[in-house]
Amino acid sequence: MDAPRPAHDPEFLVNKTRVRVLGLSLDDAVKFFFGGNAFISVVVLTLITYFLFQEGFGFFGQNQRSLLTYRQAGLEYVDFIRTQESGHTALTRYISDLRLRQFNELTTVRKLDLEAANAQLAAFDEFSGQFSDGVDPLRGLLSDLTEQATAIKTKFLVAEDKKVERQQLVDAGKSVEAAAVKIDQIDFPAELKVLTGALPLYRTASAEFAAKLTAALAKAPTLSNPELATRLIRLRELTSDYIATFPATLRSLETWDYTRPVPWYQSATSFITGRQWLTASFWQDWYGIVPLFMGSLMVSLVALLIAVPFGVGAAIYINQMASAREQRIVKPCIEFISAFPSVVLGFFGIAVLGQALRLLSQQEWLAWVPGFPFSERLNILTAGCLLALIAVPTIFTLAEDALQNVPKAFKEASFALGATRLQTIIRIVVPASLSGIISAVLLGLGRVIGETMVVLLCAGNRIAIPDFTAGLAVITQPVHTMTGIIAQEMGEVVQGSIHYRALFVVGLVLFFLSLAINFLAQKIVRKYRISIG
Amino acid sequence: MTALNVPAFAMDISPSKPSASEARPLTTVPARATSGPGGSSAPVGATLIDIDHLNFFYGASQALHGINLQIEEKKVTAFIGPSGCGKSTLLRCLNRMNDLIEGTRVAGGKIKIRGVDIYDPTVDVIELRKRVGMVFQKSNPFPKSIYENITYGLRLQGRSNKADLDAVVEKSLRGAALWDEVKDRLNSSGLGLSGGQQQRLCIARAIAVEPEVILMDEPCAALDPIATVKVEELIQSLRERFTIVIVTHNMQQAARCSDKTAFFYMGKLIEYADTRNIFTKPSNPQTEAYVSGRFG
Repeated sequence: MDAPRPAHDPEFLVNKTRVRVLGLSLDDAVKFFFGGNAFISVVVLTLITYFLFQEGFGFFGQNQRSLLTYRQAGLEYVDFIRTQESGHTALTRYISDLRLRQFNELTTVRKLDLEAANAQLAAFDEFSGQFSDGVDPLRGLLSDLTEQATAIKTKFLVAEDKKVERQQLVDAGKSVEAAAVKIDQIDFPAELKVLTGALPLYRTASAEFAAKLTAALAKAPTLSNPELATRLIRLRELTSDYIATFPATLRSLETWDYTRPVPWYQSATSFITGRQWLTASFWQDWYGIVPLFMGSLMVSLVALLIAVPFGVGAAIYINQMASAREQRIVKPCIEFISAFPSVVLGFFGIAVLGQALRLLSQQEWLAWVPGFPFSERLNILTAGCLLALIAVPTIFTLAEDALQNVPKAFKEASFALGATRLQTIIRIVVPASLSGIISAVLLGLGRVIGETMVVLLCAGNRIAIPDFTAGLAVITQPVHTMTGIIAQEMGEVVQGSIHYRALFVVGLVLFFLSLAINFLAQKIVRKYRISIG
Repeated sequence: MTALNVPAFAMDISPSKPSASEARPLTTVPARATSGPGGSSAPVGATLIDIDHLNFFYGASQALHGINLQIEEKKVTAFIGPSGCGKSTLLRCLNRMNDLIEGTRVAGGKIKIRGVDIYDPTVDVIELRKRVGMVFQKSNPFPKSIYENITYGLRLQGRSNKADLDAVVEKSLRGAALWDEVKDRLNSSGLGLSGGQQQRLCIARAIAVEPEVILMDEPCAALDPIATVKVEELIQSLRERFTIVIVTHNMQQAARCSDKTAFFYMGKLIEYADTRNIFTKPSNPQTEAYVSGRFG
């Protein structure tokens, strides 16, 4: 039997000349390098997500406390009356509008000069004055109560600050100083007596208010123009409806109880369904995402409405019809659009596009377009046009890829059956790549909804829910967006404050929105991918 | 080198051979009366496609050199030859599918179908392709239902009568020997069928538009032996209604299904004769070498 060949047989030492890096073979070193990079990116992603969640979720606790203070300090109580008062403000606006119309009628149709027109309107003015003065007793009460509620809230906040101060001293080990910090205990029932004690006053004020309105309406002058007369009738209806709400307000005030707890979910629902984003207010801050969400949504929709026909159309043309020369020229051009820094686009939007659109809207021959003319240079339309520019390269490139992926065999089969090029495109190529095109559009949407600079510069930044009663003209209104609000306010907020955390929650909403859009896009592509052969 | 066992001139169309599709004009101008030189000699079958000194280029490289070939009506003609010999190129010239490839051109020579030069500028390519159908090497049903696959060609022509379409679907699927296998799932996707079924679906789709000629470009290359047998049987049954031109790598297949065989080598037609003769007593030594398996 042969002796086994020794392991160190020189002819077998194939490893002898291997390069070693940090004690690893070259292969292993390369592997660890790339593996390490991948690992770091995963870790960073995890950290960012964790940070986002940690900062964001703190909001809900703070918001609940804020809502609790709102109730305990009696702000909620006062706001019942405030709502009633703002109803009256809306009615007086209606009356001013009526006066303006009547005035225009007098000056343009009846050709009266200004003085004569104003003289004609004297009776109306008297009525209008009585109507708007009617609120005075209520308004006086409201302003008193507002002051008192603010005082209670301030006291409460000071006490809270003191608590924090003491806690900080205790944490720093200065227990003597900590004990010296005097904290006023807020006796809410006693403080609120001032507010609830005003209920009889409110009763009389409210009754007086209702009586004054009715009296004023009884003496309303008649308007000759039938259209304006209908409006006056409408005003009567609105006013009587308005007065009919008074008992409900009274009931709210009577049954109001500051000890009623704020349910845990209300901190979330008040954010999700909140119609106001009001910060740094002397009264009460509101963090409602609806106006921002609607703003983002409207801007994105307008952008997609413009970008989809352009992007998909260009992709179909370039992929299916263009000559090789056209492809060589047009493709890089469209892709080059994405090379513009978005701040440059935003600047262009302010300086050129917004101006141009407004000028265009003021042309008389375009007056039939809904929303034209408009006076706000920066609005949904301006921002949407520019965002479309940002979405087009994404949609174009991905849709073109999808068209490219349609097997050539489908086209050949179609041609061999006597189809024209247009028939082949419409009946075979586009349906076969539809999933890819839809996902291209979705990714374009993702791109648009996350875009910040353009909307910050061009959307107008008015925090208000777009007024959909205006119909299509809604797109000429300025809005604020979720991305814009973060960029605008994040630099000014106190770290850890409720406002700071509210911005993080808006960030979270954006994060989940993007995630959902990307997920959906991938899902669509996977599910409907066509395999052949 | 030109074809040997065929008449050296084109054959006039026989007016006594009416076709269902003759009512549709191939050109927008009246077809010119064509007659080959001395077109009175009578071959076995009537010539349907007359390829006359055809030269074809891919860019600068010549793929076909002076091809002369007469394809007879209601017969199966097989094109054989080693890879790159130009047989598929010639096939795709017959319905101008090569037009879709950039840089291709016919330089000299003519292809006449029923006497009409199909490369004439007045020819409507769409109409040509309706009359010269094609089945490809790789089955390529559309990502649509079986029913829609069959009716695609008809819908292109604007036919949308449901009963009409239903009848055509059944007739075509029966014609392609697929009816019994798919009649219960006409609305499921054509891509869900097996490879052999898909290829027969493609044949059904081609015959649904009632072409005169069906071009088959290696229709069995991607099929297993059992599916291949079915398609070959199908070709046998289709010869009664259609003129079939089939490109194949498989010499047994050519021997089994075709009436006439053309052997190509290096872009030239080496020999064209009755299939029997090509495989038993080829007149050209190159043909003999190829069919006996010594090269290719």
